[in-house]
Amino acid sequence: MSTVLISSVRKSFGRVEAVKDVSFEVFPGEIFGLLGPNGAGKTTTIRMMLDIFEPDGGQVSVFDGRITEAKKQRIGYMPEDRGLYKDLQLEQTLVFLATLKGLAESEAKSRLEGWLKRLDLYDHRQKKIQELSKGMQQKAQLIATLLHDPDLIVVDEPFSGLDPVNTRLVKDIIEEQRQAGKTIIMSTHQMYQVEALCNRIVLIDNGRTVLYGEVSKIKRDFSGNAILLEGHGDFSQVPGVLEARRQNGAWHLALGSDANPQEIFRHLARQDDVTIERFEIAEPSLDDIFVRVVQEGKQSREADHA
Amino acid sequence: MHKILLVVRHEIVTTLQKRSFWVMTILFPAIILVFNVGTQILARNSFSQEDVQGILAGAVDQNETIAYVDESGLIKDRPAELPAAMLHAFADEAEARAALAAGDYDYFFLIPADYVQSGRLIVITTDFQPLNTPNEDLLSFVLAYNLTGDEATAVALLDPTRTMQVQAMAPQNSNDQSNPLAFFVPFATMFIFFFLISMSSGFMLQSVSREKENRTVEVLLLSLRPRELMLGKVLGLSVVALIQMVVWMGGSLVALNRSQSLFAAMAGYTLPPGFIVYALLFFALGYLLYASMMGAIGALAPNAREGGQFTFFVLLPLLIPLWLNVSFIQAPHGALSTALSLFPLTAPTAMMTRMAVGGVPTWQIFASLGGLAVTTYLLVLLAARFFRADTLLSTSSIKWQNFIAELRHSG
Repeated sequence: MSTVLISSVRKSFGRVEAVKDVSFEVFPGEIFGLLGPNGAGKTTTIRMMLDIFEPDGGQVSVFDGRITEAKKQRIGYMPEDRGLYKDLQLEQTLVFLATLKGLAESEAKSRLEGWLKRLDLYDHRQKKIQELSKGMQQKAQLIATLLHDPDLIVVDEPFSGLDPVNTRLVKDIIEEQRQAGKTIIMSTHQMYQVEALCNRIVLIDNGRTVLYGEVSKIKRDFSGNAILLEGHGDFSQVPGVLEARRQNGAWHLALGSDANPQEIFRHLARQDDVTIERFEIAEPSLDDIFVRVVQEGKQSREADHA
Repeated sequence: MHKILLVVRHEIVTTLQKRSFWVMTILFPAIILVFNVGTQILARNSFSQEDVQGILAGAVDQNETIAYVDESGLIKDRPAELPAAMLHAFADEAEARAALAAGDYDYFFLIPADYVQSGRLIVITTDFQPLNTPNEDLLSFVLAYNLTGDEATAVALLDPTRTMQVQAMAPQNSNDQSNPLAFFVPFATMFIFFFLISMSSGFMLQSVSREKENRTVEVLLLSLRPRELMLGKVLGLSVVALIQMVVWMGGSLVALNRSQSLFAAMAGYTLPPGFIVYALLFFALGYLLYASMMGAIGALAPNAREGGQFTFFVLLPLLIPLWLNVSFIQAPHGALSTALSLFPLTAPTAMMTRMAVGGVPTWQIFASLGGLAVTTYLLVLLAARFFRADTLLSTSSIKWQNFIAELRHSG
């Protein structure tokens, strides 16, 4: 039984179609990646899922049915823009938000102490939120999301503004929640975090689902579309290559869907100004896949408009 | 309901925690009252003292001497009560100018030969001194005396209506109009109602804008419906407004207790029966009306600064009685005051001011309350339609065309 089922939802604001056709399903005990470029419709999809916006069409099911006020108590939401009262004290704000989620004030205070200590914010609990650093505010927002112990956790850019130590801490907390059987939907542009944490993903572009499934399978499907190359010369302008970037002394080439590694090799072999020391078909990173799918979608739309 | 109560409590606690709330509550009205009531009392006093003693008192207090050159030969005598030292006649303009140059006087009046025909009067000063105005009241009195030859006629000429009494056939209040509170109480009522409603509805705008700017509203909307949020805010801030009212009333009572003369005057001043009940009703409806409109602006505007640009237009009806306060003091049951007290948007301040004066027909009170209640109901319904998730989460600027589009959308 899925925790969240989104089926062909759409939503317009005036003449702007923010979401045209998005579908995916999320199950308990998984970390699900909700990906897409800026303005793709991710936030609107999340807001429809959480009953903040009513969809114009399609179906949204949360905890096996229409979302109710009782079900909302079981959801923790961390929006991309930190949503805390900047001019209020940290403890006061977090307790208020937890009580709105149905927690008794005493229970909220008791749980809060543990979270504040774990995230190194206990000594700052009487400070106004605007006096905290960006990273501290991000951790405070995570506490607001988790304090009422929700079953469905929706986090939008959870690592924003965090240093490597706190990034690891937040990753550990997200992984702990997954192990506890919680459903986690994570939206981020940090693809390496998605690869490290997510079992499955959906990629939304221009208001539509363009890629959906298990990360490992998606990467297998796209293998052969990336080349790892070492040598001398400029490999940034090779025909059929969507993106070329240098990484640890090697070149990583992301190929377009109509490009072929053999043809790329033959092309390079004919060039006098380059030498090849290593040529290897690589499994594409999620980053490569993201770039390729989004760029091809953009080219396709531009061709349609032309 | 539990969540609405949580919002109510949150609004009360967070507003009372703000230093700005207490500064506004304590300092701002005090400054405004001192400026406005003070100037009004001064104005009243200056009119009421337009008799011989009044005119003389100011000049004598300032040890002032009026210097003049009378080419018309009009001034032959001076009123008996005017000390001779207060008038100094120069033989001609040259002599007066020499005295001016010597620093004996700052200015002198030149009464031309054709004064009676032309009415022309010239003031010659050493320099342009906008703050040092010539004492023309005293000279007017002397001229009037010499024109009429009688002190009482001269005074009547200067202020022919100074002893006018209005005797209306409609029911009037029983308060003694010479009691200073007959002026002060209606004026204070107008100010208190204006500040209570405008400040508390202003808190509504601040509260909604703050949650929009902080993006807190996105988290809140997962726990509350937009209209639950609006209701919680309206109720919470109404309690804040009542606390403000208590502070002001308490402050007034303390001031009265400290001033025995004011306390005695208050004992002789009676408010109409049920005044407190009517005050609460007009305040509650007025607050609901303006707070919901301010809440709607907060929901539509991306931040408090942009929302603030529209508050003037929303609060404009509440300001009108304040601008026209003279008509409420001079003719509280005249056509203008009555119309403003029956028009729903101006009714909260206008009707309460008239009621503080006394003598308002009961049917007018009920008509005003009824109109206000219906208007409030309709505007609260309209404001609630603006209070939606998409407007609360929008970061677009508020424009008149958007506002009209929202009106259509909400319909």
